[in-house]
Amino acid sequence: MVAWITSLLPAVVGGVLVWAGAFKLAGRRAAAVARRGALPGLVGKDRAVPVYRAVGGVELAVGALLLLPPVAAADAVASTVLCVGFLGFLGYSRAVAPESSCGCLSDKHTPVRWRSFARAAVLAVASGLALLGTAHWVDAVASRPAAAVAVLLGAALVVVALSEDLDGYWLMPLRRLRVRLRHPLGRTAAAGFDVPVASSVQQLLRSPAYLAAGGWVRSDLLDTWDEGEWRILNYAARYGERQATAVFAVPRTRYEPAEVRGALVDEADRSVLWQHAQEPVPA
Amino acid sequence: MNGSPLDRRRFLNTAVLGTATAVVGATALGSVAPEAAFAANRPDGVGGGDLSAPDPNFAEGRITGITGSMLMVAGSDRTLHRIRLTAATSVWKLRPTTLDQAKVGDGLYARGVRMGDGTLAADAVWLNIVNLVVHISSIGRDVIHFDHHGDRVVGHVIAGTTAAVYNDTPAVNDLSLLKVGGHAQVIGAWRPDTNEVDIATVYAAA
Amino acid sequence: MAPSEIDAPTYTETTWFCCGTAWGPCGGTGRGACGTCNSGSLQCAWPNTSDNCFAITRPDRCGDTAIRRTCGHTFYITSRCNSNRVTVRIADCGPQTDLWCGERTCCSNGLCATNRLMDLTPAAFSRIGSLSAGKLPVRVSSEGF
Repeated sequence: MVAWITSLLPAVVGGVLVWAGAFKLAGRRAAAVARRGALPGLVGKDRAVPVYRAVGGVELAVGALLLLPPVAAADAVASTVLCVGFLGFLGYSRAVAPESSCGCLSDKHTPVRWRSFARAAVLAVASGLALLGTAHWVDAVASRPAAAVAVLLGAALVVVALSEDLDGYWLMPLRRLRVRLRHPLGRTAAAGFDVPVASSVQQLLRSPAYLAAGGWVRSDLLDTWDEGEWRILNYAARYGERQATAVFAVPRTRYEPAEVRGALVDEADRSVLWQHAQEPVPA
Repeated sequence: MNGSPLDRRRFLNTAVLGTATAVVGATALGSVAPEAAFAANRPDGVGGGDLSAPDPNFAEGRITGITGSMLMVAGSDRTLHRIRLTAATSVWKLRPTTLDQAKVGDGLYARGVRMGDGTLAADAVWLNIVNLVVHISSIGRDVIHFDHHGDRVVGHVIAGTTAAVYNDTPAVNDLSLLKVGGHAQVIGAWRPDTNEVDIATVYAAA
Repeated sequence: MAPSEIDAPTYTETTWFCCGTAWGPCGGTGRGACGTCNSGSLQCAWPNTSDNCFAITRPDRCGDTAIRRTCGHTFYITSRCNSNRVTVRIADCGPQTDLWCGERTCCSNGLCATNRLMDLTPAAFSRIGSLSAGKLPVRVSSEGF
């Protein structure tokens, strides 16, 4: 039984190596991926792309040897050495350029995390165990088709689960479905029609009043309160040599930057130094 | 200034919403157009100087001590800053607040005017403010998990404060349009020595 | 390319970023692509400082031909919504322009900016706006204000 299962392993490891090799050799953005990872630091900027492609060639060759007959112990040994080498490169990558992408199987930016290590370790162990296999994987499938499909599917699922590159195909859709079903942030939508202060500030920054007075403003928002249909926003300001306060009135429940009012006041002597709109608010 | 806070509010409301009876204008004070004021009060950063050297009118680092209205800050370049706050200094810590919310260990940016005694008279202080471009990994109840350049950052939704801006439309409280797998820009307040932030504003495509 | 095209000002959105051995989630960023970046200096990031940089930021995907400008180049930045301005030098590669294609911000005076071609250090951004604002529309010029 163990020998039968281990006979199937070259199909899994070979499949992954062929995929990885094909991407490195023929992927549209493979060159860009090679330049962005930890490889340039290891082999030099000019050699990164050729080395990356060469690794792809080796992967493709070893993968093909594993997939094609006959069964040879040397194939499994080569694959094990390759996977252990990858573990080493992942460790180097994590240490030297932790936010860089592995570039192992695709051009998706996937920093080296525990899943990358786990996948390489699983492939290394699978390669080692493949040495125990006696039959070619095609023969193993033919001898027990249903069981073989189950084993291969299970192994593929493990590889997919450990491949962050592939999260967009299954994990993200699952999470989106969960959000659609559970509405975890639904409370924020039901919070009423209160306009956040951030919206009033946005309106202010786009208003003619701020355009006129912005050069005097020195601080970020000092304080704010609501006054009927207006939201009052205060900033510290400097008017010539005088310390002043820039006070703006922003329509609270409407988005009308042109209606924003502004004034510059000296709170010490209660004088109004400048006003943007002279018309009083209707009673 | 004398008077209660309510009195102050009434004065400011009248100044901005009412008709001013006496506006002291430019003729009395000379040219105080914003451009002139800007140039006069902010001599640095415009036209020359060593731009690679730290801006003397700016400070960044972590708060190591608070004495009255003075903050002691250790910069990431090992410079020690003394930052003086006044009633005219804005303090941001997730939202506009006051100096009493500052804690030792908070990260800080401050802009102001460097005084002759070496202190920085601050116009604005931002505590623990971060601006992160992230991908949204997953969304939970009142929490959003972000991927920031390969690192996990946990974003906390704070009722009454956290707002979302979708496609540059006015900010709203409704965060339910955020998409798992999408990218976003997050302005928030870092929780010191953790990988967690309280979200002030999140910019995303709807 | 005619000199006026090379030096024509660009209207774009700017955000801010931290660099250097900074606190918080910026702690691991290092000194930027130019090796000189500091949050406390008047510096910026530009999406076309080198071929490698361009390959990451891809401003062409947004229809922008951000001209090649290398480390140390000086830009003159003016806010489109008020009169504030700042002089900065390139110290890093960024922002991730192709994530935000089509994003547009306008001021009340009808002046707008599209796409993100500029990223400023906190010291530089706080000279033209509040850090809590997150992003601002600006005019970027290599010739002066």
